[in-house]
Amino acid sequence: MDDSIDVTHATTGITEIPSYRPDAKTRRYDRQLRLWASAGQRSLESARVLLVGCDATGCQALKNLVLPGISHFTILSPDLTTSQDVATNFFLHPDSVGSPIAEQSVKYLKELNPAVDGSARVEELSSLLISEPDFITSFTLIIASNIEPTLELQLADLLWDVSNSVGGPDIPLISIRNSGFIGRVEIQLREHSVIDTHPDTTHTLRLDSPFPSLEQHARSLDFTTMDSMEHSHIPWVVLLVRAASIWKESHGGKLPETSEEKAEFKEILKKDKVKGDEENYEEALAQAYRVWSKSEIPWEIKQLLEDDSVKNVSSSSKNLHILLHTLSQFTAIPPHLPPTSPSLPDMHSSTTSYVHLQNLYKKEYQSDLARFKSLLAEVLQKIGLEDGTIPDEEVEGFVKNVGGVGIIKGTPLRERKEGKGLIAQSIADYQYDEYDGSTTCFAMHLALLASERFYIAHKRWPGVKVKSDMSEDNREVEEILKGILGQKDPEEVDDIFVECIAEITRGGSGTLPTTAAFLGGIVAQEAIKLVTNQYTPLDNTVIVNLVKSESAKFKL
Amino acid sequence: MTAAVHNGIPNGVASSSKLASYLADESRFASIDKILDRRGPWTDERFEGGQGTKDFLRNQSKILVIGAGGLGCEILQNLALTGFNDIHVIDMDTIDISNLNRQFLFRESDVGKSKALVAAEFVMSRVPGVKVTPYHGKIQDHPLSFYEQFNIVVAGLDSISARRWINATLVQMAQEDEEQLKPLIDGGTEGFKGQARVILPTVTSCYECSIDMLTPPTAFPICTIANTPRLPEHCIEWASVLEWPKVHKDKKLDTDDPDHIEWLYQQASARAAQFKIEGVTWALTQGVVKNIIPAIASTNAIIAASCCNEALKIATACAPYLNNYMMYVGNDSVYTYTFEHEKRPECPVCGGESLTADAGKDWTLERFIESLTNRQDLQISKPSLSYSKGALFWPSPSDVYEATKPNLDKLLVDLLGDEEGIVVTDPALPVSVNLSINYV
Repeated sequence: MDDSIDVTHATTGITEIPSYRPDAKTRRYDRQLRLWASAGQRSLESARVLLVGCDATGCQALKNLVLPGISHFTILSPDLTTSQDVATNFFLHPDSVGSPIAEQSVKYLKELNPAVDGSARVEELSSLLISEPDFITSFTLIIASNIEPTLELQLADLLWDVSNSVGGPDIPLISIRNSGFIGRVEIQLREHSVIDTHPDTTHTLRLDSPFPSLEQHARSLDFTTMDSMEHSHIPWVVLLVRAASIWKESHGGKLPETSEEKAEFKEILKKDKVKGDEENYEEALAQAYRVWSKSEIPWEIKQLLEDDSVKNVSSSSKNLHILLHTLSQFTAIPPHLPPTSPSLPDMHSSTTSYVHLQNLYKKEYQSDLARFKSLLAEVLQKIGLEDGTIPDEEVEGFVKNVGGVGIIKGTPLRERKEGKGLIAQSIADYQYDEYDGSTTCFAMHLALLASERFYIAHKRWPGVKVKSDMSEDNREVEEILKGILGQKDPEEVDDIFVECIAEITRGGSGTLPTTAAFLGGIVAQEAIKLVTNQYTPLDNTVIVNLVKSESAKFKL
Repeated sequence: MTAAVHNGIPNGVASSSKLASYLADESRFASIDKILDRRGPWTDERFEGGQGTKDFLRNQSKILVIGAGGLGCEILQNLALTGFNDIHVIDMDTIDISNLNRQFLFRESDVGKSKALVAAEFVMSRVPGVKVTPYHGKIQDHPLSFYEQFNIVVAGLDSISARRWINATLVQMAQEDEEQLKPLIDGGTEGFKGQARVILPTVTSCYECSIDMLTPPTAFPICTIANTPRLPEHCIEWASVLEWPKVHKDKKLDTDDPDHIEWLYQQASARAAQFKIEGVTWALTQGVVKNIIPAIASTNAIIAASCCNEALKIATACAPYLNNYMMYVGNDSVYTYTFEHEKRPECPVCGGESLTADAGKDWTLERFIESLTNRQDLQISKPSLSYSKGALFWPSPSDVYEATKPNLDKLLVDLLGDEEGIVVTDPALPVSVNLSINYV
């Protein structure tokens, strides 16, 4: 299947350009490499994922992680396969009935990708938590699918405590709960760095404060000696930098501020046109607002720079914190601007003008990068780390795209579910308007919490008995919810809660294959984002209501 | 229940008794039965529940899946597990190695085989009791009568023109006979994003109604490609659009042939070097000429699940179905947007009103045609225009082209005289469009 690179090249032999025709692995992963590139793929290929609870939802999530090529997965479940399991889970077969479900699902999931290693542990989580916590914490990421509420929190505690210790691994937990059409995904992590959010643009054109070589270039152009062809192919960036530079000379060094000045600026620009239909001038006029938009560090990044963990770095700080710390030193020095990005959008221009302009940006980026690296070396030395601790590739990626990073700080799952103050605050923050999907989803979250407490009390889920009347269970969950809401008898809970509880009870904690697939997709997307440190993950809870085909997320 | 049991494929004699007892065990559907036996707070009035509902789903309904690719594999899995026992699937493609990162019913040994056939086989062997009937071929090759046999159509396509075709076909069927109204559930994904929608032909907005929501394909002006390349993409376009036909004459460019891509890559690289442009790579060359859209299993899972969830709701009325559009965005946290897309009264497929086209009195026919090809709500590239007296301009066949070519330079107002209406057809248009001209 693997194409032979050399033969093709030798037989065509048109030029000396080497082929780089992709190998079988690159071709297999082509459609995903276009999203997270080889760096993301490397992270994925070193990820070890543990699934606790072997149900359809968990296996669907794993399927979406095995396919793109994680390193390893383990499924932990003591259960034997039932016919109900087979009927909802694609990664089982009627032949599986009676055999350990973890082993059976591992077998069928491994078929999806020969590069991925999988194994089963036929054991109780409760005993492993005591006997082998190190086994649990040996994974990169853990998915808990519909495990008992008490165990769910014990697992969350273990991971939170491990991540809490200085230098300990930060192991995210993704926990799933579903019943019929309703699903919930919660993420617990202490802290997560996003090294590339993949913003729409990464340009830092600096039109308001051009670097010297850019301004010099723009001013050096002599319009009088240009033919009309040349004139209509000057890039709009150059036109604007030049016009702004001339404007500043006659306005005490200031750029247009009032709307009259801005209009006047555009009029002056228009006067330079030699023909009516010069596209580059059309583009310049449309982009003129960039002249008076201030180049600065994006607001979100400024917030990060204020964080204590960035202000005070040590040898145990994460790379991103050290880079941000260095960035704040970088911007403390005039011209107090973030580094220049080497990227330039396409614009109407001749090839030579465009390439020349692009090279100016690239050179500026190189010089900013060098300045950044020397500041970084000082920072590293100060905190007792060797120069080169942070790989060059990572430093360059950061400097190219300083707006595209992020830090997410989490809360412990137990606090979210038990901390009365937190729930009370969240309840106070939301108004229950049944016409709004977001508030329905929040009511659903509370109804799920109440159902979990029902389970803790009865060791069974509400509505789990197929034929029986559900009203008794509903009634009891409503009472529990009243307690969560701090409502006193004899008040009735709002209709929206009655409805949410009724829908959850109706599902009886049963797994619909469609709900399982939907949640499995979400969980895998989030796992990929967490493992690759690319794209912004969920922070921290999402409720999916597939009766109404909607969802809402909450930071709890 | 036995009526619903079709030919499962037992793995051997030893397991066949296990299989038989599994298939006889109705309690295996316990999870799904909870929502089919019991009404929820938001359940439709028409929901009956119980045996009748389950019997329709499992024994009577017939569902068509269009596409056995990224979405199609997921859709087939979900429908089979949900209890649709008579599933049909159409796909014209064969399996490529680049499918394997998400099209999970296929293995390396399946590369080159028909997607529809392999997918159907796989689902039947994994979910015994389900019958999946594959068709390897184009949807356009089946007559209307073929589509009449289904209750629901679920489409997981990557092609806009195929979507436009099936949409127009189902709308036409419903227009001619109300009894032939088949819900169309359509899914699509790109990277971490996607959408699922429910189309009730003639009742809700149709695919064509929302054609203007599509991002127009990136088109580089020919003069940029030919004279002033700036981006690596410009060099690749130059190689594929200008150099390939020049050098290879009548030999058609096959973007699936790695040797062809190799040739383009070499040409584009050489041109990029000449212009000092950086960034031409093999992957980019392939991406540009094949218009590759990034695709991952997890997004397909979400969108296919949503489509099949709607199919279940429509088939059983156990919950209100989506009215009518859900967007999913996963690249920045998790975000969904559910809304009702409105019918477009002047939709060429399902709207009753004719479309208006503005034209200047000083416009030539050529300029007018250009304005049509720029319209977001038409998305056409090679239109043929006719009016009551015959052809105004047809790009083919060659004799009509030669006869109508001189019209391009004439003024539209002179050509039409008192005529106000023009009929437009285009390879991308599933129907002909009546345009009324409005001079401005």
